[in-house]
This record gives sequence, structure tokens and C-alpha cells, in this order.
Amino acid sequence: MNNKINLLIAVILFISASQIRGQEWIAPADKASVSNPSEYNLANVKKGKEIYQKNCKSCHGDAGKYNALPLVPVPPDVASEIMHSNTEGGLFHKITAGKGGMPQFETTLSEDDRWRLVNYIMNYNPNVEPVLVEAPPVKAKIMASVNEVNKQVEVFAEFDNNGTFEKLADAEVIVSAKKTFGNLVIGKALTDENGRALFTIPESHIGDEEGYVKLVVALGEGYEVAALDLKSAKVGKLKEIPKLIKGGEILWSTNENIQPWLLFSYLGAVGGAWLAIGYIIFLIFRIRKYSKL
Amino acid sequence: MKSNSRRKFMKTLGTSLGVAGVVGGSSILSSCNNVESVSGDKIQLLTSSGELVEVDKSMLKPADLPSLSENQKKGREGIPGKSWVMVIDLSKCRNARKCMSACQNHHQLRPEQHHINVLQMQDAEHTAPYYMPKPCQHCDNPPCTKVCPVNATFKREDGIVLIDNERCIGCRFCIAACPYSARVFNWFEPKDADKYKGVTYNIEANVPQKKGTVSKCLFSADRLRDGKLPSCVSACPNGVYWFGDRNEDAVTNGTTQETTTFSTLIKDNAAYTLMEELGTKPRVYYLPPKDRAFPFEGEIDDHHS
Repeated sequence: MNNKINLLIAVILFISASQIRGQEWIAPADKASVSNPSEYNLANVKKGKEIYQKNCKSCHGDAGKYNALPLVPVPPDVASEIMHSNTEGGLFHKITAGKGGMPQFETTLSEDDRWRLVNYIMNYNPNVEPVLVEAPPVKAKIMASVNEVNKQVEVFAEFDNNGTFEKLADAEVIVSAKKTFGNLVIGKALTDENGRALFTIPESHIGDEEGYVKLVVALGEGYEVAALDLKSAKVGKLKEIPKLIKGGEILWSTNENIQPWLLFSYLGAVGGAWLAIGYIIFLIFRIRKYSKL
Repeated sequence: MKSNSRRKFMKTLGTSLGVAGVVGGSSILSSCNNVESVSGDKIQLLTSSGELVEVDKSMLKPADLPSLSENQKKGREGIPGKSWVMVIDLSKCRNARKCMSACQNHHQLRPEQHHINVLQMQDAEHTAPYYMPKPCQHCDNPPCTKVCPVNATFKREDGIVLIDNERCIGCRFCIAACPYSARVFNWFEPKDADKYKGVTYNIEANVPQKKGTVSKCLFSADRLRDGKLPSCVSACPNGVYWFGDRNEDAVTNGTTQETTTFSTLIKDNAAYTLMEELGTKPRVYYLPPKDRAFPFEGEIDDHHS
């Protein structure tokens, strides 16, 4: 009996110990030793960044900013020590297989893309020369005006060059519209050498009942500037508000929901019945009248 | 001659009885309406403090109670110009059930009551199982509102199908009529009934819940009025829900706060609605459970073999 209990305790201890060990996620040796077939260059790292922004950023946050979602366990930052304790093959295996909160990407990302993602992570490895160096955000200023006739937004962008503001060329301008719960990106434009960008609002864009749209103009990545909220301008299509409820579709359960056809057919039936009774009584009187003769 | 006089008597008797009936009836009716006209009579009344007082009948006035309170009227009109829609991305759902707990907290539901429920689905024998959150479909042609005998449940112009627990008589016709089993009944005292005793009823959140009445998903109409996304949409950690106004053709994701065009989202992903063959015209759209990043961990009974 005692032996059995001892055995049980040993088994429980073994299971819990293996679970504790399981929290530290180690890729199997044969997977970890696989070398990266994709070349470590700017093009691949840039592509990897694109894939990262789309598939990983929502949980892992921005690289180096340690702003991952507060999950348990916390998804490690791309630049963190935990992340770089893995070999390239190990990272590839973890992205491929997934575990617990970390989803598998075997079916959703191609093998090439997963290796490019590894390249992007290696860009932040302290022992590797980074190929994609992100400059600190530049202070910038944006001005914008809306032309209601041409349905165009004209944006001027300037950047802070050591105290003096100069025209900002080749910068991405993002034009969005305020909707009920968030800003909908309508489109993007690039500034020319004068720092000027012109964006035409598509004809199909829906505004409010009178066609007014609240536009928001912002600069793309790499610039430190608050998004510019413009006054609502009449540049959108009129919002149509279709009537949802048709009178005939409501049951006549209360006086407010009375339906004429039902009311008239009811009154008609009742009135008809009374008329019939009246006619019968009239006939009885006539019989009496004839009986007198 | 004799028989004739009897007939005459019967005739006059009938006429006088009829006239008396009409006069009597109308006088009873008028006495109900005009209490003021009768004066001098005393009547005993029980005050709220428990005392018996005697007042003159002329002091009494007929009560003029509106059939709907201001709150109920506001809840019936809806938010002008909006037409709410929800898009549920089945490829993202991994059964976290945060939507369900957020909903139950918001609407004071017991653990077994669900305005939204995450179901485990398998469509055919060899297809992959998946999770499917199922709220009320807020049909544009709702079968449930049409069977209500007391006009307690209704559809608003912003698309939400609501229920007024103050009017509901608990007949459960609407539960029988709903093909999506979206409604729940308060069989027992609601959760925290003592805590919310005397709290003003809010028709746009169905709180406090009332025993013996029907309750249902209402897209968190009170939160929408404040410009917030519904509870379930905001609570989801996996980006399953998109919610927005169909009239302005934009939906926002509750997790990432990303806003996208509603018509493109449902077109590009081949969205579908549940049981559309019934002609209910639901306004909850489902994106197919394609490219799921998470393994299915539930249990599916083998109904197919």
C-alpha cells in the first residue's frame, strides 16, 4: 500500500517537474541545428519586417520597445535576450510548430517567409551586424486643406532640421476618415520635392447624410508627428439610410401597431354579422305583417 | 286581440329593457371617467406610511399613466442613422470565451445563461472542427418579434432586436419562433438579484434581469449609445469580431481597433450568414474558418457515422 502511494507521489512529482521544465520552451536539437537557407540581407530583412508587422506585432509588439501584450507567458520582444537565446533553426521551429499561446504558422506562412522572419529577428541579435537600421523618428509638421469641389486633400509636410523646418520630400502621407468606432484608411500618397502631396478622395467614399467626411491626415513610419484632424468637409457620397421596418410586418398586438387591412376586415365581418341579424329580424316583422292579412 | 296586447307588452318590455341597459351602462362608464362630479362621498385610502385616511371623492382624479416610460421610448427608437452589423472571423476564434464572460457580467446573467455562446462545430464527416461564437443574429426579418402578443420584443430602426422586460409576460413564444436559439429565459431569480433590487430598469442592457421574462443579446445597445463597441467585441483577445455601421460601410475590429470597409471584408472572404434559407436576413456575418492558426482542442461527438 505504502509503495503504491510512494509510486503515485513519484509519478505526480515527475509530471509536475516535466511541466515546469515545459514552461521553458526548448526546440529539439535536430531542429535547432538547421541552418538558415535564406540569405541575411536588407531585402530579406525588410520582407521579414513586413511579415512581422502583419502576423506577429499584435502580440509581440514593436521590436525593441517591449510593448508586447500582457499575456501569460508574456510574448518576448524581438530584441530581448530570451528571443536571442534561440538558434536560427530553433526560432524557425518555434514559428513553425507553435506552442500554447503561440500559434503555429506552418499552414499560414510559407517556409521562405518563415525564414525571412528569422532574418528579421536576427537583425536585432547583439552578435549580428544589423542590416536594417531604423533612424530615430524625425520631428515633422503637417498642414492640410480640403478642396470640396475637386474632392482633393492637399498636404504640406515639413521636418525639423536642427531647429529649422524644411520641406519633406518622399514621405508617405496617410489619409483616413473618422468612422463610428475608428479611423478608416482611405489611401496613401507620397510628397514631392516641395513637400506637397495631393490625394483625391474616391467617388465611392461614403460620408454622413449630407456627405460630410471628417478626414485625418498622418505621416507614415519614421516621423514624430500627431495626426491632423481636419474639419468635416463635403467630399463623400451621401449616406443612405434605408428604412428597415415595414408596417405590414408587425403583428397587431397593441393599438400602436394597428394594421388598417386587419382592422377593416374585422370591422367588416362584425358589421356584416349585425346586418345579417338585423335583416332576419326585419324578415320576422314582415312575416307578422303578412300574417295580419 | 288578447294575443296582440301580449305581444305589444313584450315589445315595450324589450325596448324599455334595452334602453335601460344602454342608459345604465353609459352611466356606469361615465361614473368611472368622471369621479369629480360625485362629491360629498368619503372614501378610505391607505397611505404609503400605512395609515388609513378618509378623503372626499371629489379629491380623486383618474390616473393618466403613459403606456411607455421615457427610457422605454428611447430604447424603442434606436440610434438615428445607424445600421449595426457584426462580422465574426471563425479562423481567429480559439475558444477563449472572453466574449461570453464579458457579456454575462454586463447583462447580469447566470452562468448557464448565454446571450452569446461559443459552439464547437463540425459541418461534415471528414471536415475539420472549429469554434463558432453565436450571438443573436438581429435579423432584418425577425420571426421572434412577430409572435409577441404584447409587443414586448421589437426591431429598431438601427437594426437591433430588443426586448422590454417590463412588458414581457413570459409566454416564450419568441423563444419557440427563433431558429437560432438566441433567447434565454429567466427561470430562476437572476444573478445578484438582491444587489440590484430597486435599480431603474435599463431596456438597452436588459438589466436588472427579471425572473419570468425572456432576455436576449442586444449588441450592448447602451454601450453603442456611448460610442463604445459591444462588450463581447471589446473583450475578445483574438481579433474575432468586427463591428460597425452598415450605412457608412465601415467595421472596426474589437482587438486591434483596425477599421476596414465592410463590403470588401465580406466579399473578399466569402462571408456567409446562418440559415439564410429561412429568409430571416441576419446581420451577423461569418467569415469561413480557413487558415486557422490554432489547433482544435474541443470534443466533437461523432454524429456523422
